[in-house]
Amino acid sequence: PTATFALYFPQKKYSENVFVGQPAGTPILQLHVMLDNESETAHFCLRQLTEYPKIKLFHLDERTGLLSLNRTLDWSDFAPPSNSWTGPVKKLPLLARASQKPFRDKSCHGQTVHGQDVSIYINFYNTTAPSCSQQMPKQLCFPEHDSSPHIKENRLPGVFRQLRRLPPHYLCPNLTITYSIETEESSPFVFNESSSEVAVSRPLDREEREVYELLVQCTVRTELMLTRLSQPLLVNVYDEDDSAPFLNGTDTVEVVVEFNRKEGAVLGKMLVYDKDTTPIYPKDQSHNKYVGTMMTNDPWIKETFKIEHIFKEEKFGNQVRGTVHEYSLILNKTLSMEEKRSLQLDYLVNDTEFHGPEGTVMLHFNITVLPVYISFTNVSFLFTVDRKAAPYTQIGTVCVDNCKKFQGIEVTYKLNIDRNASLLVKTCYAAVAIEQSREDSSAILYVNRTDSLRNKDCQDLQYIVVAQERQNKQTQAKTQLTITLVGTATGKRNLEKDCPLSCAERRQRAECETCSGLGSPTGRCQWRQGNSKWISTNYSTCSPSLKTCPDGHCDVIEVKDKAICPQDCTTQRIIGGHEQGLMSGIKAGYGTCYCYSENCFCEKSDIEEVMCDDVCKTVIATA
Amino acid sequence: KKSGGRSRSRGCVLKEIHLNVTDLDLGYHTKEELIFRYCSGSCNAPETTYDLILKNLTKNKKLGKERVKPQACCRPTAFDDNLSFLDDSLVYHTLTKHSAKKCGCV
Repeated sequence: PTATFALYFPQKKYSENVFVGQPAGTPILQLHVMLDNESETAHFCLRQLTEYPKIKLFHLDERTGLLSLNRTLDWSDFAPPSNSWTGPVKKLPLLARASQKPFRDKSCHGQTVHGQDVSIYINFYNTTAPSCSQQMPKQLCFPEHDSSPHIKENRLPGVFRQLRRLPPHYLCPNLTITYSIETEESSPFVFNESSSEVAVSRPLDREEREVYELLVQCTVRTELMLTRLSQPLLVNVYDEDDSAPFLNGTDTVEVVVEFNRKEGAVLGKMLVYDKDTTPIYPKDQSHNKYVGTMMTNDPWIKETFKIEHIFKEEKFGNQVRGTVHEYSLILNKTLSMEEKRSLQLDYLVNDTEFHGPEGTVMLHFNITVLPVYISFTNVSFLFTVDRKAAPYTQIGTVCVDNCKKFQGIEVTYKLNIDRNASLLVKTCYAAVAIEQSREDSSAILYVNRTDSLRNKDCQDLQYIVVAQERQNKQTQAKTQLTITLVGTATGKRNLEKDCPLSCAERRQRAECETCSGLGSPTGRCQWRQGNSKWISTNYSTCSPSLKTCPDGHCDVIEVKDKAICPQDCTTQRIIGGHEQGLMSGIKAGYGTCYCYSENCFCEKSDIEEVMCDDVCKTVIATA
Repeated sequence: KKSGGRSRSRGCVLKEIHLNVTDLDLGYHTKEELIFRYCSGSCNAPETTYDLILKNLTKNKKLGKERVKPQACCRPTAFDDNLSFLDDSLVYHTLTKHSAKKCGCV
């Protein structure tokens, strides 16, 4: 079961050298074509691809494929016309074409057909040929640039390569040059010693073996000595689409759409195997091309799902390349939360170039779309806040059930209080605010007003958290949130009078830990001591809370004021040894990194923090 | 006194030194090298009337104990092109405004 047959050249190019003085009739090259039926005969024709030389120097026998010299080469044949030929060696490109029918006058000049044309490069030497005794055995035996032959699978056997170099064989009758090849047992290759031609003896199968390595041995015998040389010959087997697609296991996959309902979500994957290769170049070819069809007329299914197809080549069990096609079921649009149904989607995969029966495979996707509800199952949130906390202190995260898994579902959160509450209570409740996370469907609570927090009349804060889906306002859930105020608020001590708004301005541990800055939950900045000798992500710095800053991520609270955590949020150029963060901030720094407003600096601290190491501890202990 | 009207510009000049990137002490771990150019020299002579007034006021102690610098400084007025290099962990870094191109008393 194969595509259209055509004869082909089992080699991509041929080349040989010619010299001044070589006589008319000298054989240069033997061309071979592989036929596809025994009654067929091959015809050859030759084209010269350049204007120069104007005379026809070569003759290609139409029936045998033997290329030979038309006339004796003399010096004038190499006389350069103006400046187009300079130097000792010139390459003359020729093109040979093969056909099942005899060539008429012009048919040799038609458009190139892949596989039925072959390039021949003749290297002209502007000298006479070296004498037979001067030539090295290697030159006598093997061509300078060997082109590996290829055999198409499932085709007729036949002769595909002449091992002999024809000019020395013809011009040096005193030399005996013989060849032999070494093959494995049950090799499909045979060698004819009298003609020095290699043939393939039976049709090959690429799915069985892709490459054969033959060892060619050449013996050169002169009156004085005998030389033996060997060189490998790699024979590649070319593929055609002779294998049907198959599945490894089940043809059905169960798919559940629940929390990830976003457009582009990958719901399920199925693999289809094919023992054939799938070349990706040239792009317009159809070899082993797969076409897929969604077997449905339901417009909802058609607009909601799509199948994406990618493929790659892999070595299957016997170390021969095959193709793995991957079909992914993708959500084509974001589904609403209420959507609920189940359906089966069938997808027909067709290997269009495979001409036998069963060139298709049917894939089944059993899809269940479940609705999603917003809820707080048995959750009431309980957080504590220090009365000394600075503005923008992060208190905690609120999250509906499964909110980390939500994709394509937008949840908004609100804090509600009793409408009939007194003004004082309302003022107290203004202490805390909520902000939507950008990454998932959760929200972060933070300190909004510190005067309410410090007010002794304000006690524990009770809120109702209301979570709501943005698209569908009816779907909502409520739960209780209690924030306990702990500790005692103190007025700013004298010590803190000179404290800046931002912890990040502090360059030393002592001055860092005695100050408060935006975002610090205890009313004290925290010091991080790095210990790397080079640029490191663990650089020394002063931060409001080491839990959130610097963590390499500028979150929704930090972005509200650049003074909270410029280490994560700066967009200005950083001065000193550093590595910049992907979107913003300092990824890694040298020594201590500190920032004035948005401008950050990283440098080795002048005053090294006195670290008490093991030796120091021992000294103290013994003292 | 050596510096006359002409030699004023000669005082503040661009100099260069061949260094390893590690000599810069910026924490980079690399074997790459660079030519570092810097501004050096004195700016004794007043550049502007402002400089002259400030010098006179300091000399006559009219400004009390306030710390002002009556002299201009020899500083870069333009910087060299950016310098990129690969560190030992095969990460690229780029230094900007790291080396002087022109100097002046400013």
